[in-house]
Amino acid sequence: MWDQVGKALDASMVRVLSQFASLLPGLMALIAALLLSAAIAWVLAAIIRRSLIGIDFDGRVPKWGFRSLLEWSPANSPTLLVSRTVAVAVMIVGFLIGISAFDVALTSEMVLRFFEYLPNVVAALVVLTAGAIISRFLARAVLIGAVNLNLQYAALLSAGVRWLVIVLAVAMAFEHLAIGGGIIRLAFGILFGGIVLALSLAVGLGSKDLVSRSLQREAERPSEGTREPVGHL
Amino acid sequence: MASSTVAQPELEQIQRMGSADLVIGILNPGADDLGVLPGILHQAVASMKSAARVVVLCRGLSSESQTRPEPQNGEFPAVAFLNWAAPEAANATAQALLESYQTVLTVSSKLGARACVIIASELRPPNMQLVICRLTQPLLELGFDLVSPRYDRQKTEGLLNRSIIAPLGRALYGERIQNPIGPDFGLSGRLLETILARNQNTRVSQGHAIASIASTAVCQGLQICESYLGMRVQMPTQWTDLSSLLATVLGPVFIDVEMNAPFWQRVRGSQPVPWFGNSAPVTGEPGVLDVQHMIESFHLGAQNFEEIWESVLPPTTLLELKRLARLPAEHFHVPDNLWASMVYDLALGHRLRTINRDHLLRSITPLYRGWIASYAIEMENAGPQQVEARLEQLSAVFEARKPYLVSRWRWPDRFNP
Repeated sequence: MWDQVGKALDASMVRVLSQFASLLPGLMALIAALLLSAAIAWVLAAIIRRSLIGIDFDGRVPKWGFRSLLEWSPANSPTLLVSRTVAVAVMIVGFLIGISAFDVALTSEMVLRFFEYLPNVVAALVVLTAGAIISRFLARAVLIGAVNLNLQYAALLSAGVRWLVIVLAVAMAFEHLAIGGGIIRLAFGILFGGIVLALSLAVGLGSKDLVSRSLQREAERPSEGTREPVGHL
Repeated sequence: MASSTVAQPELEQIQRMGSADLVIGILNPGADDLGVLPGILHQAVASMKSAARVVVLCRGLSSESQTRPEPQNGEFPAVAFLNWAAPEAANATAQALLESYQTVLTVSSKLGARACVIIASELRPPNMQLVICRLTQPLLELGFDLVSPRYDRQKTEGLLNRSIIAPLGRALYGERIQNPIGPDFGLSGRLLETILARNQNTRVSQGHAIASIASTAVCQGLQICESYLGMRVQMPTQWTDLSSLLATVLGPVFIDVEMNAPFWQRVRGSQPVPWFGNSAPVTGEPGVLDVQHMIESFHLGAQNFEEIWESVLPPTTLLELKRLARLPAEHFHVPDNLWASMVYDLALGHRLRTINRDHLLRSITPLYRGWIASYAIEMENAGPQQVEARLEQLSAVFEARKPYLVSRWRWPDRFNP
């Protein structure tokens, strides 16, 4: 009987050890993939950091109109933000490659799903970036037009346009990420409508005096006063 | 194509004519004066010795007044009138005017004209013949390549030209031309071909044609003179359209500055150009400027455009603008140094495309209104000579500040005071 117990123990140990041994190549592959991806990430981040420092990226970002990126960046440096983002992305890819080396159905499925989902993430990021750029452009155009028309509530109009576009872009990004579904659409409708209503109320009620003063001043201007008195050229 | 506003029958006639000595484009004739225009033009041409064949492009001519350029007894008439679907004065936007310019230049080139005269101001009969002769004679009889206009003006007229375009052109190109963008010009065939070839090669906007006339003549070392054309009738600008006007006019001027950078960086100082005719006393009352409204506009801009301006203006200038915005209306004054630096910074910002160019040009409106307010306060009781002296002083400051532009142009990131 003891022989049978011993055999069972041996078999169990062999099974466990062989299973563990079968995991070892995958584990080694994961460690190797992580080490390799870490090295690549480090080199890539260094190259990107040097290149961006070379073109004075930190100085240019606020000039391009992305001042808020400074607040989001570690040590207020968009260069660090970009280089670290790239490094983390490379590390994640390395980790996924390492995980898939286990050849376990679950991890393979996970990796497959991740890569299937990746285009949605990229599309959402593109939509968000485009939304940020368009919102900025439109807000500035509205601000310039309103100020040149001497409208006292120019900044309010500009902010309204900016947030409308940003809300639209965020809703579209969520749609791409398949997060929220109908709730997002509903929330977007409420939020979008809310902003329009808030603006209407702000202009109609909250800033009634301001707007009426502004409009009254323009209305009271004599008809010839709506023209510059002379030609400019 | 630029000549598309000339009807097909007229285009065919132009091709049949083959050549002309002089082409006159009248872009904005007074509607009431169209009847007398042919007679005046015949008289003007009769007084010219060296223009045998003249083609006049003019809008709104009646069919009776047109002389078709068909051969009569084997010879072309001295003056041939071509009708032209140019935009009407009432609808004439700056853009439409620029398109009309391009049409006249193209037709002149097709006809191989020795000289081309473009009259964009509204003409009045007592002045008509004088204007045509003063723009034409220096070209055909004295060998000049460009005749630029001088006008008798009220102190409140032509302020965009007097505050930005003329001082900038003088400081950069070294020629004291009072109206570098006309709009009335006389051009020799040589200058005409140079401008068309340059515009074709560089594929610039139509607006650039008018902005590049004087600068091209200077850069090519051609002979330039000015002629007094009397008072200029100008439609007042709708004040809500001022930002569009600034964008349409200053955009091509700044593009021209960019294109000629290798030339103007070598130019030092300035010299007067020869002129013909004499100024006459200006009649009528000067327009009253709404200074308070202009200062309010400046304040509103200073409150809201900080983010835009700080992308093109250096910190010291922004500081000065903040100080200006705090001044009470009676002490409001834009120093010449600050104004000249700002114009240079804006030209540089336009070149660097730091922000969208249209946004940049339109954001100048409050600054320009601020300058007008400052000028109006300062010149409230000034006579014509004081006004001229004041504007001369402004131009001198533009010249003195030119090294600032050159430094910033060459090292925009390193030299940013």
